Amino acid sequence: MKPKETTFVRRFSRRQRIEHFAVMVLFTILAVTGLAQEFFHAGWAAGIIAGLGGIDRTRWIHRASGWLFTALALEHFANQMLAVMRGRARPSMVPNRKDMRDAMLTLRYYLRLSEEKAAFDRYDYRQKFEYWGLVLGGTIMILTGFMLLYPMQAARMLPGQLIPAAVIVHGYEGLLAFLVVITWHIFNAHLAPDVFPGDTSIFTGKISRERMQKEHPLEYARDYPELPAEAAEPAPEPALGAKPH
Amino acid sequence: MQQSRQREKASSGRWGARLARLALGWGLLGMATALAQGAIPNATCLACHGQAGFATRLGDGSSLSLYVDARQFAHSVHGGKLACVDCHTDITTAPHPPRPFPNRRAVSLTYYQVCRNCHFEQYTRLLDSIHFTTLSKGNRNAPVCVDCHGAHDIQPPNQPRSLISRTCGKCHGQIEQVYLRSVHGRALVDGNPDVPVCTDCHQAHAIANPLARSWHLNIPQLCARCHANPALMAKYKISTQVLTTYLADFHGMTASLYRKENITPAEFTATCTDCHGVHDITPVTGAGSKVIKANLLKTCQRCHPGATANFPAAWLGHYAPSLRHAPLVYGVKMFYGIFIPFIIGGLILQILLHLWRVVVNR
Repeated sequence: MKPKETTFVRRFSRRQRIEHFAVMVLFTILAVTGLAQEFFHAGWAAGIIAGLGGIDRTRWIHRASGWLFTALALEHFANQMLAVMRGRARPSMVPNRKDMRDAMLTLRYYLRLSEEKAAFDRYDYRQKFEYWGLVLGGTIMILTGFMLLYPMQAARMLPGQLIPAAVIVHGYEGLLAFLVVITWHIFNAHLAPDVFPGDTSIFTGKISRERMQKEHPLEYARDYPELPAEAAEPAPEPALGAKPH
Repeated sequence: MQQSRQREKASSGRWGARLARLALGWGLLGMATALAQGAIPNATCLACHGQAGFATRLGDGSSLSLYVDARQFAHSVHGGKLACVDCHTDITTAPHPPRPFPNRRAVSLTYYQVCRNCHFEQYTRLLDSIHFTTLSKGNRNAPVCVDCHGAHDIQPPNQPRSLISRTCGKCHGQIEQVYLRSVHGRALVDGNPDVPVCTDCHQAHAIANPLARSWHLNIPQLCARCHANPALMAKYKISTQVLTTYLADFHGMTASLYRKENITPAEFTATCTDCHGVHDITPVTGAGSKVIKANLLKTCQRCHPGATANFPAAWLGHYAPSLRHAPLVYGVKMFYGIFIPFIIGGLILQILLHLWRVVVNR
């Protein structure tokens, strides 16, 4: 089933696309080299470490990626601060009451307690959850990571026991992030029937008007007021794999 | 002691056993030949060699006693089992022509070779040792069989067990003195049968180079042979968690992974002896202990020169985190143990509900 005409609107800036790509690459490297160290007793982990040329090189790769991830986080933070100061920031990623309502409504919809689907703005509650999970988790990983990289310097300012605690936090928080990504992110961005086999908008920066209307109706109505009113009607669920694009 | 013997046996492998059988075969053949020729009885040898003061002059001008104390030989492990010519295989007639030797050492270095005719396993293990490597590099003072075991007066080398450190101490006297002051050495002198003597760690024949990196990285497993043995440690109220807690920590993880690597690691990682000491190990509660709290910072600083007062607390002292030891670490572990299944379970549940609703809609 091919749509008659697909037009696109811009969803992500060049900077956002680059940031996502960088996070994707660094997260993968950090997860592979980090989980291999966390579970070094397991055969698969030993295989990864040996494949990378030993534990010294595995640690080097992990630490270098950690530094780059830190630089990326600082760049992102500085950029957001700059946007706020210039008065050009929109609170589109800030969680609000509506997110809670949307989550409850969606849960009711899943459970067939309601036939109403939540209408989302620029980011839905799932996307906000992931973003803030990444910000919070990333901050924890960066702080504990530097404690482990520089334990002597850390112990100059902090009680010594915080270092073994940081080992546990770094390992478990990293595992949690990995599990969230392979379940929640992979499902929402790749496997969910609406986006299968993958939502490409974060790579191309473009989203079809059709999907925009369906997935972000509030943003669409606000930013594209010249468009026909039919947009307000929710589109029917497309069959699996028949996503118009 | 028994464990180290087993280890040695295991390492010599099947070839060793085959060669040993082969050697035994040759030995029997040789004996049979000797018997056929009419072997020389000990009494014939002792007619000359049993006279006190019987001696010869060596190439370097020194005198070599050729006297054999028949009673001493009879009380040795070989007494009543071996004839003189079983070892002195070059003697086929009595009297025999003199054998010229340049010096005393040349005598030992010639005659130790005959031990392998029977003790082939021990001999092949010796070939893997630092002693033999030293010898083959040209150091003629490196010990061979007779230097440790003796010649005509051979006794069981571990009767009493404290004899072992005395034997090694003949060359390694300084280390012997240090060892005898350690927790292990003092207990040995008191007759404790559990503590390790030299050969328990270093083996008797296949003595490895203790300065090699592979030796250093194997130390945790070496110490664990006793210190991870619950029955043995219970006697002394020593925790057997020492190995697991070490291996779970950064140093132990690094050592474990280095052991598997073929490349020489660029970094150094601490194993047991780097903190506790080698031959000078003391009880961890003793005032002089390198690892007692008062001395721990100094011990850390040997590898981490920038370490400050808080740093040693980063090591949990071989305790697994618990409410009593390291409650913070324990609490964090507990938290994530609940938090991770809660979050991931919740997300998977939402995914399943989402899919269920998609199926219902169709």
